[in-house]
Order: sequence, then structure tokens, then C-alpha cells
Amino acid sequence: MPQQRPTPLDLQSVEGPGAVALERAPGRKGLFATTLRGQPQAIIGLAVVILFILIAVFAPLIAPHSIHAKTGGIYEAPDSNHWLGTDDGGVDMFSLLVYGTRVSLEVGFAAALVAMVIGGAVGVISGFFGGWVDVVLMRITDIFLVIPDLPLIIVVAAVFGRHLINIIIIIGVIYWTSTARLIRAQVKSVRERVYVKRARSIGAGNNRLIFKHVVPQVAPLLIANTVLTIALAVFLETYITFLGLGDPSTISWGKLIENSFLGNAVLNNAWWAVVPPGVAVTIVILACTMVGQSMEDALNPRLRVGHLAVRRFRMRPLHGRLDSE
Amino acid sequence: MRARRLLGAVALAAVLVVAAGCGSGSSGGTDGGTGGTVKQGGIFTLGSTNYIDTLNVFNYIEAGATVSFIEIYPELVQYSPGLKSIVPSFAESWTISPDGKTYTFKLHSGAKWSDGKPLTSADVAWTANTIIKYPGPTAVLASAVAHVTKVDAPDPTTVVFHYDQPVGNALAQLTYLYILPQHVWDQYTGNNGKDLKTFLPEEHLPVVSGGPFQVIKYDKKGQTVFKPNPGWWGPKPHVDAVAYVYYTNADSMIADLQSGQISAVDQVPFTAVNAVKKSGKAIIDTYPGGEITNITWNSNPYKPQHRELLDPKVKEALSMCIDRQQIMQVVFAGYADPAESLLGNIAKPWQSTDYQPLEFNCDKANQTLDSLGYTKGSDGIRMAPATTGKYAEAAHKMEYQVMAPNSLDFNGDREFSIIQEGFAKAGVKLTEQSGGDSSAAYAIETDDKCDAATNTGYSKFDMALWDWVASPDPDFQLSVVTKAQWCSWSDTGWDNAAYDQMYEKQGTLVKESDRMTLVHQMDQIIHDNWLYTELVNEQGIAAHSPKWDGFDPQMLGYNYIGFTDPHLK
Amino acid sequence: MQRSDYILKRTLFAIMTVFVAVTLNFVLFRALPGDAVTGLKCHACTIQFKTALRHDLGLDKSKWAQYVIYLKKLAHGDMGTTFIGHRPVRGELWDPIKKTLAMITLGTVFSIVFGVFTGVISAWRRGTFLDKISVWTSLAFYSVPTQWLGLMIVYFVASRVGLPHGGIQSPDYGILGDPGTVAFLKDRLEHIVLPALTLGLVLYGDYTLIVRSAMLETLGEDYVLTARAKGLSNWAIVWKHGFRNAMLPVVTLIALSLGFIIGGAITIEYVFDYPGIGLAIVDAIDKRDYAFLQGAFLVLTLSVILFNFIADLLYFKLDPRVTT
Repeated sequence: MPQQRPTPLDLQSVEGPGAVALERAPGRKGLFATTLRGQPQAIIGLAVVILFILIAVFAPLIAPHSIHAKTGGIYEAPDSNHWLGTDDGGVDMFSLLVYGTRVSLEVGFAAALVAMVIGGAVGVISGFFGGWVDVVLMRITDIFLVIPDLPLIIVVAAVFGRHLINIIIIIGVIYWTSTARLIRAQVKSVRERVYVKRARSIGAGNNRLIFKHVVPQVAPLLIANTVLTIALAVFLETYITFLGLGDPSTISWGKLIENSFLGNAVLNNAWWAVVPPGVAVTIVILACTMVGQSMEDALNPRLRVGHLAVRRFRMRPLHGRLDSE
Repeated sequence: MRARRLLGAVALAAVLVVAAGCGSGSSGGTDGGTGGTVKQGGIFTLGSTNYIDTLNVFNYIEAGATVSFIEIYPELVQYSPGLKSIVPSFAESWTISPDGKTYTFKLHSGAKWSDGKPLTSADVAWTANTIIKYPGPTAVLASAVAHVTKVDAPDPTTVVFHYDQPVGNALAQLTYLYILPQHVWDQYTGNNGKDLKTFLPEEHLPVVSGGPFQVIKYDKKGQTVFKPNPGWWGPKPHVDAVAYVYYTNADSMIADLQSGQISAVDQVPFTAVNAVKKSGKAIIDTYPGGEITNITWNSNPYKPQHRELLDPKVKEALSMCIDRQQIMQVVFAGYADPAESLLGNIAKPWQSTDYQPLEFNCDKANQTLDSLGYTKGSDGIRMAPATTGKYAEAAHKMEYQVMAPNSLDFNGDREFSIIQEGFAKAGVKLTEQSGGDSSAAYAIETDDKCDAATNTGYSKFDMALWDWVASPDPDFQLSVVTKAQWCSWSDTGWDNAAYDQMYEKQGTLVKESDRMTLVHQMDQIIHDNWLYTELVNEQGIAAHSPKWDGFDPQMLGYNYIGFTDPHLK
Repeated sequence: MQRSDYILKRTLFAIMTVFVAVTLNFVLFRALPGDAVTGLKCHACTIQFKTALRHDLGLDKSKWAQYVIYLKKLAHGDMGTTFIGHRPVRGELWDPIKKTLAMITLGTVFSIVFGVFTGVISAWRRGTFLDKISVWTSLAFYSVPTQWLGLMIVYFVASRVGLPHGGIQSPDYGILGDPGTVAFLKDRLEHIVLPALTLGLVLYGDYTLIVRSAMLETLGEDYVLTARAKGLSNWAIVWKHGFRNAMLPVVTLIALSLGFIIGGAITIEYVFDYPGIGLAIVDAIDKRDYAFLQGAFLVLTLSVILFNFIADLLYFKLDPRVTT
């Protein structure tokens, strides 16, 4: 479950209504404007995400202490010197939290990008070409969807080492499947649209069709989906790290949660070591979800009410209807 | 050992188990008092992060199992409190023949198994001879009777062990010969002994016991209950029962100790010990632990690259930049002592007395490295000059990967960062390479195609951050650097024929003072070659409720008094 | 396509997926360096001992041969015996799965009951203060890392309400004798409540949001508007038209998610020291007990495939528009 938090995907947007609604979808340029207009939650979410990005970028300027040196006693309570106290090694918690932002967001963005590239490519190819290509790719996707992630994560961590880059790749690999499904459905509807048919009839090649006509049409949805995937990737990073499979040489929020658990912070009554990293993760996931959701809503006016689907679990769209497309 | 990390802790547990298994107990009831003043009764509940995986002595892997074996299966000899010496247990006395090849034990008379059948020398002989006869299935106990050719039982209270050569640590090895009831086990020798491994005593409760306790309830990952064995030949336990309770998570274990739901815990994590102390709800017990953390240097003389790390002078200099005090304070909460010897403080008498403790003096180290020709580049990292000859290497920066398994029972990442900082001051750059679990880490060290005959293997790592669990007898620790252990226990890849001969010889010296002199020399050789940079010797930390007394956590798995001595105050 | 064809197709696909999963589980674990025997550093673990053990466990055979043996045994329903302990995998799996099932059943029922309830209310009272509170609460639980929520509950809730921090049984429970069924159930329940609550809260966030959006979807449909126009009461509309139609996606999504929960409760089990299948897997990974792991992951994959299959059939049954 938690590790199975999937890319956002829900019945409505994958199938019927979403695909239809895209006819009126704004272009890429209009996406943010449309999203932000009249949606306070999108503005708040975006502001929070930007704030965290700034913290990540300027971490060395913000963090008051080194994150490798012991600058206080073990589990010292917060005071004017250590705003969030110290951890089980006497390291300043606030500085750790600030630097942790860096790694957590890095994983979030990079892994979402990986999922976007793989999922986008598979979705476009599958949807555009149809036929046996579609069948083969979709069957592979289906299989990926039901394999438990845990062995995959463990083996990657063990064989290739517990490096950040491997964690990014494995998260991307876990989340591409639903992106592929989503994009495929959209591409199918775009393909049938009149102007694509017209472009084909005047002799445009497949590459040209894909990049000039199909990709720009599905791009907004892909971006919205990617923003939602960032949230899931940040979440999955904490999960992987909690299993002891995180990169040992970097500090992320997940690592801080793990440290507080391994370091018996609860027994030491050190709330300052347990609470802040979890709050940070929650805020970022919430913010990304708000932004991504608002984007999807903007793309899909009929569902403006804000439909959220189960994202905590990987799933696939239901077959009956997809196959009928 | 303690599953502190979610993944990867247990494989090392096997190490502790068998290390602990090497010891057992001493003659009972020596301390804690058997006198009339001790309060009787009560249930002693012991929390542990090790579980009793089975009560079959041929098929165990967890440390919890040895803790229970020692309470239900008698042993000829056991360790005394403090692991200071080997004392009589089921054997009342023994004699050794002048050639050192025959041991004759005189046993307690009139002893009985808990089902009323007599417990005699026949059971001892059967157990030992079975291990000798079926070496495969009984391999886990093979070293208990190493070099034994045959065991006789001339009369019910006499048992004679015949060795094919004098064995220096014969008694120490016998501390983990768990004597089994022949009348129960005899029927399971079928299938060429393989049935011995599949028999599950825990499914036939109460287990037929010859020790102070009977197991009346068994739940592998839960609560196992030991009740005094009324027919036992030794001093009576003080308690009405001992409950052994398994936890995966030390947090909830300590919480239960503080709330008074359990009487004691066999281990307190380093990060929790100060909190327990502060709470005042439990008393901390410490003892010299067997675990020594080290930097393992790849000392394989045939290694292809980074051969500058074969030079003991380089290794010594770099070691001088490690702030061990900080490691002890930050990683071990102060519950560790500086370690200098592979043999560990648990085997202090066997350590050489001729070397000085490692100095923390990075300036001196830098001078040494400068004088050896490793000059610093503009980026502050030293260069190893080009070499010629069979193992020629181009000039290269002194940048190394340090492999760390994720099965350590302490915060290895923190330990690494302290070492990394120290090495950086010496102009050497370290990066941490995760070794995975013990199996993976071990596979990385020895290499896939490891073969001692062709000197293949040990070519892929430079340094590792790991630990060894020492035992009171030095034989095992001494063996890990021999060529015979290449591709098996050896984690350094060292190859030194002279040392190997000394190792063979110490094994045959029955007179302890002779053996000790030789072992001192060997310890000195290991030290001078810097096969390991020993960092700290962990202390064992346990805790008990103020309502209880007589709990000696060090004795668990070494002597039955671990369960018989605790009593209410 | 005919109904029977559809079911046949889904069944074939499920079987193929199982086969791929079985193969992957076999291959993945063997891709790790070292095996169950390599990591044993012990007095008794001589080279001879290791060789004998490898032979015993069949690890000395080629990987292909091991694979064939594995498949053959599996075809006869034999999952083999565990490497560590030499006990039948099936029995070793069942005990922890039983414990996990008890916990997740409680958690899931909690989340479905409350999730559906607040989801429906939220949609019904859309846009009100009540709706906002419900959406934000659900979003918060949806965003919280599970293991952290567990830690928070251990830290701030457990002692205050007098519930145990972890485990599945009080350490002093029934040491000398059986305290009876009532005492047993009480003790067990006390230990299950908090981990189940953690799981329940996390799922609650998800379920509320799905139910709410599904309800809003159906409440916007033409036939609901017609019903409204016909002058049906508010409650009747929500119940008869909204809820019953909204249940289609909700039921299928919940069925899909259930498949993953069995294996997914692992961090909850770890935080609460709850000896379920998640902790058993962790232990087996540490020991490289391939036989156990293969069995465990097979069961996990099967549970996912099974619930997917159920979701398919449900969808097929509930939605007359499904034709393939």
C-alpha cells in the first residue's frame, strides 16, 4: 500500500469524460493561467511549492549549523541556538530539515520526470499506433501494475547500491505505468480528431504527427500528472528510506523520520526529532496535490469539483471499457 | 544481535548466536545467593530482540535459541560469571591424560531427565558420537567435538573423550555441547542423520529437559515460558517461571520495561540508554561485550589496485586521524571502550601487552604520509605515486570506497562520517559504499570467483566498516585471518604462512600458559600488520526492573544461572 | 464480446500475470550477490559446512535447475520448505498472514464505514463548512507518511489512552495458564486497535475523497437533475440515485486497493512491532530465505491479481455499459 501510491489516475479522467473534455483543453501556455484563475487552493499550493524550492536552493544560506558536525548535546530541546533542538547525534535538527528539503525535492522532481518520460513515451506510442504495439505495451504495463514493489526496491538497492540515483530510477519505474495508461487514453481520442486525420491525409509522417499534433495536445495533462507524481515520489522516498534502503550519505526527510525511529526519539521524549520531518513531507505532498489537482480540473471543466482518486494504491483502469475504445 | 535496522540486521545475529553458543554456563547458583535469605517466587519476564527460532540444537540460527538451550540441555562444563574461567557443570570434575589426548569426566550421579528417565554418561556419549557420525546435519555443533574420534561411557557417571591430537581449547569447545536425551532423539537419526534437523522438540511440550527449566509454552515470535524442572540435579531456581518475550522493536520493549510489564531486557539500544537512565524506572546493567567494530583493510597481498593500502605504515597513519572518543560518545552514547585487539576485551588475558593504544594525532600522521612520498595535490587529496613490477599501478589520487553492511547494530552512517572527516584531514577522500546485508557485503569482500588455491578473490574492495563478535576463547578470532579461511571467514584476504603455522600450533597446546605466550605473539603480528583498525569495543547494555535482583545478562547463553539466579528483592 | 469470453480472457491474463510474477520473484532475489549461506559467519560455518548446507538447500544446482524444480513443486501446490528452520512454507506463511488479516480487516472496515459516511455527507453538503473540513481532513490523512503517522500515534496517543505501544500480546499475558477467551480477545484487541487505526486513518482519507468525487459526479448527471425536477426529496435523491450509482467506481476502486494492503501494511507493522507478514518478510530478507520470500511474494501478488479480477467482474456486473 503506501509504497504503492500510484500516479494519479482515476476512472473519470482516464476514460470517457476526461478524454472528451480535452477537446476544449487549454494549450500549454494557458494551462497555468487557467489553473490559477479562481482557484485559491492552486495559488496556495503553488506558493508553498515555490517556498520549498527556494529553501532547497538556498539551504546553505538558511541552515545555521553544519549537518555533519555535532553542535550540541544529544537530543537537546529547542532553544535560541538550535531552533528545533538536536538529534541522536547532537546535530542541529533545523539545519537537517533545511538540507533534507533539497534531497527530498530532488528525488520528487527527478523521479516524477523519469515516470513522465517513460510513461509518456509508452502512452503516446501505444495510443498512437494501436494494434499489436498497443496490446503488447499494455500487457507489459498491466504486469508491472500487479508485481509487488517491495522485492523490486530491495533488489535494486542491493544490486546497484543505495544511491540516490537508483532510488530515483526505481520510483520512476514504479510510477510510470499509470501515466502510460492515462496518456494512452488521451492520445487515442486526439488521434481520431479531425485535424490529425487531415494532417495524415496530406501526407504528414508519424514523427511529425506525434510531435506536432499529439504531444502538444496531451502535454498539459502530462504535466498535471507529473506534478501529482512529485507528491507520490516524495512519499515513496520516505517509505524506501524507512525500510533502511535509503542513500546512507544523504539527508532527506525520509532519512530524518528513519533516524528518529532508529534513534528511539520517542523514548527520549524528543518530539522535535520526530514531528518536523513528517510535517514537512505532509505539507509538500498536500501542496503538490492541490496544484496538480487544480490543473487536472482546469483541463477537465466538467469535473471542476475536484475529484481525487485513490492514489495510495497502484491500480489499473478497468479493462472492459478500455478495451472497447 | 539486535534488529535495529529494518532490513539487514539478522544475518549478523547468526554471528552472535554462534559466538554466544561457544560459551555456555558455569556451575550454578554461585552468585545471587542460594542462601535462605533470597526471596522465592514470582515470574521473571525477560524481553529480547532475539527470538528462539527452535529448540532443536542442530537447526538454530538465532541468539535466543542458545539462551534457551542452556536452560534445558545439560552441559559438561560452563563459563563462570564474568566469563573468567571454565567451571564444572554436569561434569563434577575431569582429568586430562599426559599426552593431552584423553579427557575423562566424572558426572553428577542420580540425575534424571524431566520425564523421569535417568540422565547418564550414555546420553553424553550418544550426543557426541551422533555429531561425529553425521557431520552434515549436525555441522552447527561440529566444532564442539572437533578432533574427537570417539566418546566412551564406561559407567553411568564416567565419560571419556578421545582426541586425535592435543586440543588447546577442548574445554571451551565443550561449553557448547548440549547434551540431548538419547531416548527421545535416538529415533531421529534416519535418512543419514538428516531427520535430526527436522525434529521439532517445541512441538512436543513440555520438552524433555535435563536442565533447571522445562519449556511449557513456545511461541517463536511471542512468549516462551520456562518452568522449573522439579527433578533437576542442580540448585533450584528462585522463580516460579521465566517468560522470554520477543520484540522486533526496542522502543516497545523498553516502554514495557518502564511500565513494569516485563522484569528485564537483555539489550538496550545505545540511543535509548540515557533515556532509560533518566526515567529512573529501570536499572542499567553493563558488561564487557564481545563486539568490536573495526575498519577492515583488504590485506590480500595479490590485490591488483590501491596497493599503497597494503603498507602497515599507511594504515597506521590514517588510523591516527580517527577521533575514537567522538565515535564512542556520538555513536555508542559512551557505552564503549577503545579497542586495540581483534581478540576483544572479552578475551583480555590473551591480548599482547606489548603495543601502545592507538594515538589520535593527525599531525603526526600527515608527517608520516609526507615522508612516505604521498604528496598532497592542490585539492588537498594525496597522490599515490606510480609503481612498477608485477603489480604496477599508475599514479592515482588516494580516494577510496568504504563498504558498510547495513546489518550493524549501531548507527554505521554516523561512524562512517566521523572516520571520513578524520581521513579528510589526512588528505584521503572516502565515500561510503553500501554493502547490503551481510551476505551481500561478504560476497563483495570475497568476490564471486573466490578460490584460495589460485589466490583469486579479495580484489574488489579496499576497506570495510564492520565488526566481529569475539568470544572468551581466542581460537575463533585468531582463525579469521588465516589462509585456510579464505573465501569463508577471512574478510581481509591476508595470506601469511608463518602466522598460519602458529595458529595450528596454538590449537594443540594444552597447557594454558604455553598457549597464551604464543597467542600473545600472534595478536602482536595481527596488530603490527594493521589488518584491522580496531575502533571500539561495545559494552553490553541490559536493564532490569528495580523489583528484581540477581540478573546477570552476560550469563545468558553462557551459564544456566542466567535464568536460575534472578529473584525478587 | 460475450460475457463468458470476457471472463475467459481475464482469467487467462490473470494466469499469465501469475506466471510472470512467479518468475520475476525467483529471478529478482537471485540477482543479489551472495546467498543464504554466504552471510553466515560463525564458528561452525566452515567451508565444508557451507558446502553441505548449500547442497541441502539445493543452492549448488544451476539457477535454471532450481527454477525448474521450483515450478514443478509449485504446480503441485508445494511452496517448499523454508531455508531457515526447514518448515513448510505454507504453514510459516499462514501464521503471520492471519495476524495481518485481523489488523487490516479492522482498519479497512473502519475506513470504509467512515470514508463512505463522510464522503456522502460531504458531497451532499457540498461547499459548506462541513464539506471543507471533511475535505481538508481527508487531504491531510492522504498526505501523511504512514510510518510517521504510526510514530505520532505511538508517541502522543498510546500512553494517554492506556494502550500498548506495540506487540500483539501483553508480555505478562497468561504465563502460567490460560486466562480464557474473553481475556484473550480483550488483550488481542488492545494490541490491534492502534495499528488498525493508523491504517484506517490513512485509507479513510483516500476513501472519503473517492466517495465524494464519485457522488458529485453522479449528482451532476441528467437523471439526477430530472429526479430533482420531479420534486423528490433531497435525501431520496442522494440515497437512491446518487449513492447507488456512485458505488460503482467506489466499490471497484476499493477492491483494487485491497489487494495491495496485505503487503503494504509493512511499515505499520514495523512501527507497532506487530508480528504480521510484513515483519516476517523483512526477517526472511535478512536471512535470504528465498523459499519463504518466493512464497510470500507469490501470495502478495496473488492477492493483488485476485482483487483486480474481482474488480473486473464487479465492474462487469455493475455497469451494463461494459462490453468488450
